[in-house]
Amino acid sequence: MVQEKRPALTQCKAWAELKARADAFAGIDLRTLFEQQPSRVEALTLEAGKLWVDFSKHRLDPGVLETLLALASERRVSAAIEALFAGEPVNTTERLPAGHWRLRAEPEEAGQEVLQQLSCMGQMVHKVHSRQWRGLFGDPITDVVNLGVGGSDLGPLMVATALDEHCPAEGQRPEVHFVSSMDGSQLSRLLNRLDPGRTLFIVASKSFRTRDTLANADAALAWLRAELETDGEELLGCHFIGVSANPDAMTEWGIPQSNQLRLWDWVGGRVSLWSAIGLAVAMRIGMPAFRELLDGARRMDDHFRREPLAGNLPVIAALIDIWNINFLDIRARAVLPYDARLKFLPSYQEQLEMESNGKSVNVDGESVDYHTCPVIWGEVGTNAQHAFYQLLHQGTQSVVCEFVMTGLPHGFSDVKSSTVSQHRLSQANCLAQSHLLAFGSEDDEVDPHRLYRGNQPSTTLHLSDFGPQALGSFLAFLEHRVYVQAAIWGVNPFDQWGVERGKVMAKQFEQLLESNPDNLELLFLPDYSTQNILRRLARTEKE
Amino acid sequence: MQIDVVGDTVCALVTATALAQTGHQVRLLLMPSMVADEVIAGRLPFHEPGLDRILDEQRAVGRLTVLTADQAESLALSDVLFIALQAGEKDVALELTRRQAASHQRPLLVNQSVFPVGTSEEMQLAQDEAGAQGAVVAFPDTLQDGQAWVGFVRPDHILLGCETEWAEALVRELLRPFNRRRDVIQVMSRREAEFAKLAISGMLATRVSFMSDMALLAEELDVDIEKVRQAMAEDPRIGDAYLYPGCGFGGPGFSRDVMSLSSALHQRNSSARLLDEVMLINERQKEVLFRKFWRFFNCQVQGRAVAIWGGAFKPATNRIQNAPSLALIEALLAQGVLIRIYDPMALEPLSSHFSGRSGIEFCADAYQALEGVDALMLVTEWKEFWSPDWTELKRRMRTPLIIDGRNIYDPGFLARSGFRYSGIGRGEAI
Repeated sequence: MVQEKRPALTQCKAWAELKARADAFAGIDLRTLFEQQPSRVEALTLEAGKLWVDFSKHRLDPGVLETLLALASERRVSAAIEALFAGEPVNTTERLPAGHWRLRAEPEEAGQEVLQQLSCMGQMVHKVHSRQWRGLFGDPITDVVNLGVGGSDLGPLMVATALDEHCPAEGQRPEVHFVSSMDGSQLSRLLNRLDPGRTLFIVASKSFRTRDTLANADAALAWLRAELETDGEELLGCHFIGVSANPDAMTEWGIPQSNQLRLWDWVGGRVSLWSAIGLAVAMRIGMPAFRELLDGARRMDDHFRREPLAGNLPVIAALIDIWNINFLDIRARAVLPYDARLKFLPSYQEQLEMESNGKSVNVDGESVDYHTCPVIWGEVGTNAQHAFYQLLHQGTQSVVCEFVMTGLPHGFSDVKSSTVSQHRLSQANCLAQSHLLAFGSEDDEVDPHRLYRGNQPSTTLHLSDFGPQALGSFLAFLEHRVYVQAAIWGVNPFDQWGVERGKVMAKQFEQLLESNPDNLELLFLPDYSTQNILRRLARTEKE
Repeated sequence: MQIDVVGDTVCALVTATALAQTGHQVRLLLMPSMVADEVIAGRLPFHEPGLDRILDEQRAVGRLTVLTADQAESLALSDVLFIALQAGEKDVALELTRRQAASHQRPLLVNQSVFPVGTSEEMQLAQDEAGAQGAVVAFPDTLQDGQAWVGFVRPDHILLGCETEWAEALVRELLRPFNRRRDVIQVMSRREAEFAKLAISGMLATRVSFMSDMALLAEELDVDIEKVRQAMAEDPRIGDAYLYPGCGFGGPGFSRDVMSLSSALHQRNSSARLLDEVMLINERQKEVLFRKFWRFFNCQVQGRAVAIWGGAFKPATNRIQNAPSLALIEALLAQGVLIRIYDPMALEPLSSHFSGRSGIEFCADAYQALEGVDALMLVTEWKEFWSPDWTELKRRMRTPLIIDGRNIYDPGFLARSGFRYSGIGRGEAI
């Protein structure tokens, strides 16, 4: 990632020192830390724009943080940040820069191609909102369906849901739906409810080769042809927009030039919501709010680029992740938004982190001898309390909890309204849980079944004035934190070779499923278990 | 009698002029508005046959005085006051009520404005609170644009909401010259009169939207809606009024009344949905000509040109508020279609409405609008459009396609003359 050779991670001076500090921490719990050093709260609360983060409920002290910063310096994190923003090929295995930050940069850094796509997007959104995007029979579009999976689904779905209450300033917004799964049931259930003459499909796929998405796009096209009784080419121009880095494949599938939006190979799928992949978001919240989202992310980019490491929010968050994983050996993290608007944040973050850093080979192709990305999962906090909090409070392993709190819903200032009081209730639950997880039951409980032992570390993030700008900053924070983790671990966060092979193999297995089960022996089969399942499937289908 | 009339609506102008013509001394107080400026300058900003001439005449003989709101500020209002304000000016009405009540023992206030049901009672309350022992009566404006003068001086019926004997007697006296042939005044409570006014608009709108839906079906079934309409109109239970399917209704009052009725229904009873549908169908109909054009050219309309005949919301007026032509023009402009529009009277309001927009040309002559176009869209059925020179049309048009939003042409004749013709529920189904 960086030109000069740097010491292997476990050979770093700071690594050994952190090991020693971790040993010293073995017997100290959070309660003791707070008793010894009440001022840690101020020292461990960091702020950037509309986001502030309280790291004080982690099992560390200023000495640990200092050594983590020394590790960052040994691993040349500052140089890595510079390389990212200098457009160096930080995606080493694919020899590409990672330019997602350019998608939200000031015009001179964003470049002409980025600005041009944003403006095309704006025109399309305007046409739909002014009810002048016409279906085959000339009716205005009322429903937009985003067909995409992975990065072309999770990010847009999460943001569109989170910001749904932000309406476009002008015109009338369409309903926006998301379909990702390839099995067809999700799509067909939705299509039953839609008016074909008023439905516009966005086919979002960076490669435009994604089987899941294309299977859904084919099904959507077949549905329109049947319902509108036409085979004409004009159907595609009225009812489909393509978003891809592969214009030839879009054309080949039938999307007319005028309905094509571009992204580029230097934008990773899981960080692509800032590009035209975010079209579904803009269709829902309008272009001004979408631009605010970009603006919020740009502010976090500026913070990440310019703030010294010690006060740099993504850097500190990543270093504390390293401490928890590599030194305290905590290998699970729960993402717990206390706001239903962020209900898709956990699945978004699962992809962002686990697809980026779920790796065991470093950039030089060597196996690593330390843990990288933990298992990440989550749920809206108040729902999770009725599901897996039991394990958090009384299970056998440590889990880092990440609490996300938000400001009041948009447009609510009346303190007596029920929305406000429900928001309070949710916040109270969040605070109660993080307190109890950290400090345990304070009374002298004797029944071991009712004991809360505490000492579960957690982060509390707060998004004030929750809206497009705050969300943009928050998501850019998450992206940069993943990048810093990767710089420390020495892995490439921008590739995902681990998800490729299965897609290829699925094609072979599709042939197996279509073949005669009695002739299965004739085909190469990888294992007995799969053979067994194939035969059983064939038998069931015959019946 | 000394009478004051307040408002810049057609109703206010007609009322003031008609009362002056029958011998009263009338002061017309105009709220500041574009209409007010025009009237003060001696021009009538809308076309109302009969009104313009008599208004000038009454001003000339001195029975009608026109005053601006500023000039009226310091005046004491007369004991007989007519109020015909715009729908949104309820607060102004209440303020005037108090002002009048302050200077008279027994003021009579005649409310002609279309406010929410119950407003006349509210005004009565304001009058009582000011210490007067007067009366507020509801005399809702049922005048039709383009026929307002005749509608006022020779009415078919008059809705009068009045609950005080002396007030009824006084109003009857004022309306006596217009109520001669037979007594057309129906007296009821103020609330009933206000509600009846809205219900009439709602019913008429419902008939039109119903026919538009039937026209859609007629196209699917290859049936001529005109035959069906005539058959329906013969049935005495139905009659022939407001039974014409078309490219939508508009105007300053009609849509507003229906929306006001619909919102009143929503506030009291959320399950009443009919009027919402009526309005939705109407909005959809406003784009029906565009949809036919779009289909005819297989969604490839960019760079094509159309002629539009008629922009006013109906013939014999120059008003374009809520007119179907506006939605149609927006739809065409958004697709990059060049528009050449002609209207005998409404070109000026249209060109100021679309000022600064490119892609629309305002033509001074109906035939000039046809030069090189791919379709003629008939939107307003002005008399001069009924029998054009078809040879000349065909010579000038690039594509001989007639899309008729008012069903005024004969599909068979046009087909034989070499035109493609599509109406609303008749002609070619496009």
